[in-house]
Amino acid sequence: MSRRGLLLMGQCMPCIKQNASKIRIRRMELDKNLNMYFKKDEFYFAHDPQKVCKTGDVVLIKELPDRLTRLITHNVEKVVYPLGDITDPLTGKKVVVGKYREDIEMANQLFGKSEKAFDYDKAPPRGRLEGTKDFTHGETYIKYHEDGKDQPFAV
Amino acid sequence: MNKLLNIAQAVPRQFVREYAFKSDLKIKWVRPEKIACYKPEKSGDLGKLPPLKPDELLLDFKDCKALENADESVKSQYKLSNNASYLTTQFYRDEMVKEVQRHAQDYGSMEAKLGKMTAIIRRYQVHMDAHPRDKMIKVRLKELIEKRKKFLKYLRRWDYPRFEWILEKLELVYKPPPTHFHWITRKESLQKLTDTYCENLKEERLEAYHKQLQAQQIPFLEEAIKKMQFVRQEQISCDVPVTVTEEQIADSKRQLAQLKELQQAEAAASSQKQNEDSFN
Repeated sequence: MSRRGLLLMGQCMPCIKQNASKIRIRRMELDKNLNMYFKKDEFYFAHDPQKVCKTGDVVLIKELPDRLTRLITHNVEKVVYPLGDITDPLTGKKVVVGKYREDIEMANQLFGKSEKAFDYDKAPPRGRLEGTKDFTHGETYIKYHEDGKDQPFAV
Repeated sequence: MNKLLNIAQAVPRQFVREYAFKSDLKIKWVRPEKIACYKPEKSGDLGKLPPLKPDELLLDFKDCKALENADESVKSQYKLSNNASYLTTQFYRDEMVKEVQRHAQDYGSMEAKLGKMTAIIRRYQVHMDAHPRDKMIKVRLKELIEKRKKFLKYLRRWDYPRFEWILEKLELVYKPPPTHFHWITRKESLQKLTDTYCENLKEERLEAYHKQLQAQQIPFLEEAIKKMQFVRQEQISCDVPVTVTEEQIADSKRQLAQLKELQQAEAAASSQKQNEDSFN
């Protein structure tokens, strides 16, 4: 229907839908009564059969010319910032909070890096602990029923 | 009055009980048992502290040269088992920090902090099992667990590879908090259970209907091929314009062959499974 091809940037949210990702677009909305801005979330479902975007990633989505299903209206264009794996757009170096990873590594070398310490080169890509130790790929809920089965997402 | 009663009886039951509707479904709700906040299953600790070696020396006297040649009675004064409990905690804390620290002087990085907290938490958890009424330790422990969770949340946002590494190294489980808090009530839980029950029922019935339709496919195609062939022959023999082509018939035959192959494959798979089950 829409011929706009609108591009939006948002954050990927946990989603149980297969081959789709739930994207949160957060805008500020003016409350005229209080004359203050408040956060306002909109959720879109973007077609993503390979599941390129994981929970927390900042992604660009593009409006599809025709909606694919009743829910899926967008397409994942690009993962701009993977969560916790930020590249500085100016220098192209990896960043951790306020420091370059290189600088941290250099400091470690100067102090004499420990054998057991974490090494970025050996780190496998994200997602190996999903379902065993890291449960951020789904939504958790407060446990309301004891059915004898294992409920991994119950808190 | 009698008239009114008659009307009430004539009206179906569901209209009468609009309020306080009670379901006839046999769904049994079991309230989940409360787990104390300091327990490992709640705090996400999968690993345990290593057992203490009996003649481990105090942290400050580990590499003491004077103690090496000292008398056994003097040496025993500096053993962990003969000293205060907090010194053992310190010992464990140091061990765990050394597992994850970046370099020998590092005690302030996020990994080191998490290692330190984890050691203390596990030590306190052991204490709480032995002394469940120790309120002071309980409060400290709860605060530490919550702080560690917050730090894990930060680390995940800052540096995902390191976050995953630390989860593996310290054997922790990270579950994000639920979106909103609510008390567990009988009514709401039963509503949720009923919803899932209905959802399952729907899927089951759809699946059954799907199977039923699939079973009809092969007989239908066989019948259709026969009829198409008959119609074609009749049309040719009666000199009427032919509407059924050879291609159409061949197409249906191909479909039939595919379906039969699929069925055979499924049957073979199921029989193999049965064999394996009986063998086991």
